[in-house]
Amino acid sequence: MRAFSEYNPAAVAVYFLAVIGTAMFCLDPILLFLSLLGSVFYQIARKNARPLKTHAYFLLLFLLSVLVNPIFSHNGVTVLFVVNDSPITLEATVYGAVAGLMILAVLYWFRAFTQIFTSDKLLYLFSRLSPKLALVLSMGLRYVPLFGEQARRIRETQTALGLYKDGNVVDRFRGGVRVFSVMVTWSLENGIITADSMTARGYGLERRTHFSIFRFRRGDWLLLGTTLALTAVCLSALALNPTPFTCYPAILWPPFSPLTAAAYGSYGLLAFLPTILEAKEALKWRSLLSKI
Amino acid sequence: MEILTVENLTFSYPGETSPAIEDISFSVRDGDFTVVCGATGSGKSTLLRLLKREIAPLGKCCGRICYRGTALDALPEHTSAQKIGFVMQNPEQQIVTDKVWHELAFGPENLGWPQETIARKTAEMASYFGIEHWYEKRVSELSGGQKQLLNLAAVMVTDPDILILDEPCAQLDPIAASDFIATLKKLNRDFSLTILIVEHRLEELIPICDRLLVLDAGKVLTCDTPQAAAARLADRPELLCAMPTATRLFHALKLTGTCPLTVRDGRRMIESAFDHTVRALPPVPSCEHGRAALSFEGVFFRYGRELPDVLRDLDLTIFENEIFCILGGNGSGKTTALSAAAGLRKPHTGTIRVFGKKLKDYKNGALYRECLAVLPQDVQTTFLKNTVAEELADANIGASDFPFDLTHLLSKHPYDLSGGEQQLVALAKVLATKPKLLLLDEPTKGLDAQKKAAFIQILRRLKDRGVTIVVVTHDVEFTAACADRCALFFRGQAIAADEPTAFFADNRFYTTAASRMTKGYFDRTVTVEQIAALCALNARKGGTTC
Repeated sequence: MRAFSEYNPAAVAVYFLAVIGTAMFCLDPILLFLSLLGSVFYQIARKNARPLKTHAYFLLLFLLSVLVNPIFSHNGVTVLFVVNDSPITLEATVYGAVAGLMILAVLYWFRAFTQIFTSDKLLYLFSRLSPKLALVLSMGLRYVPLFGEQARRIRETQTALGLYKDGNVVDRFRGGVRVFSVMVTWSLENGIITADSMTARGYGLERRTHFSIFRFRRGDWLLLGTTLALTAVCLSALALNPTPFTCYPAILWPPFSPLTAAAYGSYGLLAFLPTILEAKEALKWRSLLSKI
Repeated sequence: MEILTVENLTFSYPGETSPAIEDISFSVRDGDFTVVCGATGSGKSTLLRLLKREIAPLGKCCGRICYRGTALDALPEHTSAQKIGFVMQNPEQQIVTDKVWHELAFGPENLGWPQETIARKTAEMASYFGIEHWYEKRVSELSGGQKQLLNLAAVMVTDPDILILDEPCAQLDPIAASDFIATLKKLNRDFSLTILIVEHRLEELIPICDRLLVLDAGKVLTCDTPQAAAARLADRPELLCAMPTATRLFHALKLTGTCPLTVRDGRRMIESAFDHTVRALPPVPSCEHGRAALSFEGVFFRYGRELPDVLRDLDLTIFENEIFCILGGNGSGKTTALSAAAGLRKPHTGTIRVFGKKLKDYKNGALYRECLAVLPQDVQTTFLKNTVAEELADANIGASDFPFDLTHLLSKHPYDLSGGEQQLVALAKVLATKPKLLLLDEPTKGLDAQKKAAFIQILRRLKDRGVTIVVVTHDVEFTAACADRCALFFRGQAIAADEPTAFFADNRFYTTAASRMTKGYFDRTVTVEQIAALCALNARKGGTTC
């Protein structure tokens, strides 16, 4: 078995799409809470808590949502108190909290996604859609840091020549424009050499193929199948549920039924899937170590 | 069997009256290692590019180029792309994609190979070139030498029969260049790969090549075995200066017989032809040191809090009006020391003084006005304008203020100039601030031997005008020829600051070819001129020639 991050990018991408998509379009506090727990536990399993500042920002966003929503939305039947003749209602506050929960869960999932999904995986996905686009992206990914590095070097050289001043905003802007204009020339020059190197190696011939270092293995099919099955169960259960969670005008929790159990159960499993795979990996290593 | 034949090839660029190459005929046998040399502008690169159809320059071309008996134009597209490999000068700009593995797969992808074949070929190449452990890295993380090796591997992956290389080592440091040349030699010997290479760094290439093709003003001067070709260059000093030390010595001593190419053969030649009753030249009295122009006192520097020190406890004093060369390997802190001296990097401990004044006491760019200037390694970074004339106007200088001539370049775009010309224009821009202390970072990189000799003359003239010059370089031959003093950088410290004759005579490995050739036979001879002068003082052995 492999760590979750080592699965085929296509399977992983579908997983993230499913888990984030469901969370984004179902405003259900229990589901969202499961989603948040799943993402947080996965981060812990990956030992990826740092930097701590990120968590503070995420929490701040959550609090903002809780506090701001009741100020602008005055729906709801339960008035908590009145400020400047505007009623602050319990329902609006709860709605803010649920929306905040959604933001929080989605942010944590995206954090995991950006850590796992390196540029080559993204390119692999694009190459399935359009090999040409993937090549352009790959060249872009190479070119952007190159451009930045060259601009930095030019700036340094010009500083040492006494021709680049950064005393005030105007000087800095002027210097920036000078550097940028020569960077355009440099890019064109650079492009010609790269183009030569490409044609010299046969770019533009017919029947171009695409090579990638990722393979689609049995485990990937399993992950993909599990993801799709769980999402299908969850979404159909939610759709069929006649009494979904509602905030306005009054808070209405869905009564316990086989349908809600199926929705929460399947989504819970989906959200904890990466953590389970990661834990399984860790356990396996521990048992292997004890045998060595 | 001939793999490549060129018959009566003449080529002129559009709008030019005289042809860039004229009536060239030669052939390359399967498995030959051919070195093409000639002065800048002799048509070397043009010739090489004409041999690779995909990137052949536009212009008027007559004559025939055949690959295995088929005219180049008549070759099927796939064969032409696959069987003729081409590696260019600049390691950075040849790379197309962002990952090492993707770069290796780029050629095979273009040829439409199936996934399994590409996987096998890239794996094979990565193992052979020792790229395996950086297979999944980003190319931006690689060093220059690694990048050029990747370029070579990315061409070799499609299994070419002939490899054409246009100055592949010009941008590499000597160690990376040696590795690269060793790899070429291995490819040639182990796989009978035909190689055609243009290069300035001939000291190591000529001894291993089978044929030397010398171009002169677009014509073939000679195409023969390296010994025979090198022997024919006696009256061509501009071509001779690029030859290996042993060959130059052979001509300087006006010997006859087989022309030596390696240090070993050169040593045998001297030992068999000359006595060593006079073992050393009379010592040159060392001149008095002036005031300190630049001094480092206990300087420490690191690029980040978590990173190791790049400069550790650096103590070094450079005196007024001397040419000081800083030698050392990659990552030894040479360039960092230069940037620190220029105030571009701030050391965390220690002081740097420029003309006795602390660096931080120079306020508002006073350091860069009539005091200190830096010529960066990448001279293109000094250019901001569309013509050389505009460049000079930008820096408020005229074309005639320098100890060299720029007037013929004024209307050209700085990026269109050759490496040597770019160097001069950049130097002009740097000199515009009338510096008393000039810091040069790898100024001889990519210059051919003739341009290098001219550059040394310019440095001398600047020194006569009272400029103190500090050069960071990998080039030991250059240092031996022009430095007043030099030092070896090692792990962030300057070691063994001394005048170059003493410095190189004491070193066994980190020294010039001339010094290695005469070590133990003569004392304190580190340049060809010194050996020649000393041989003149000693008697010839029994009139023999080597």
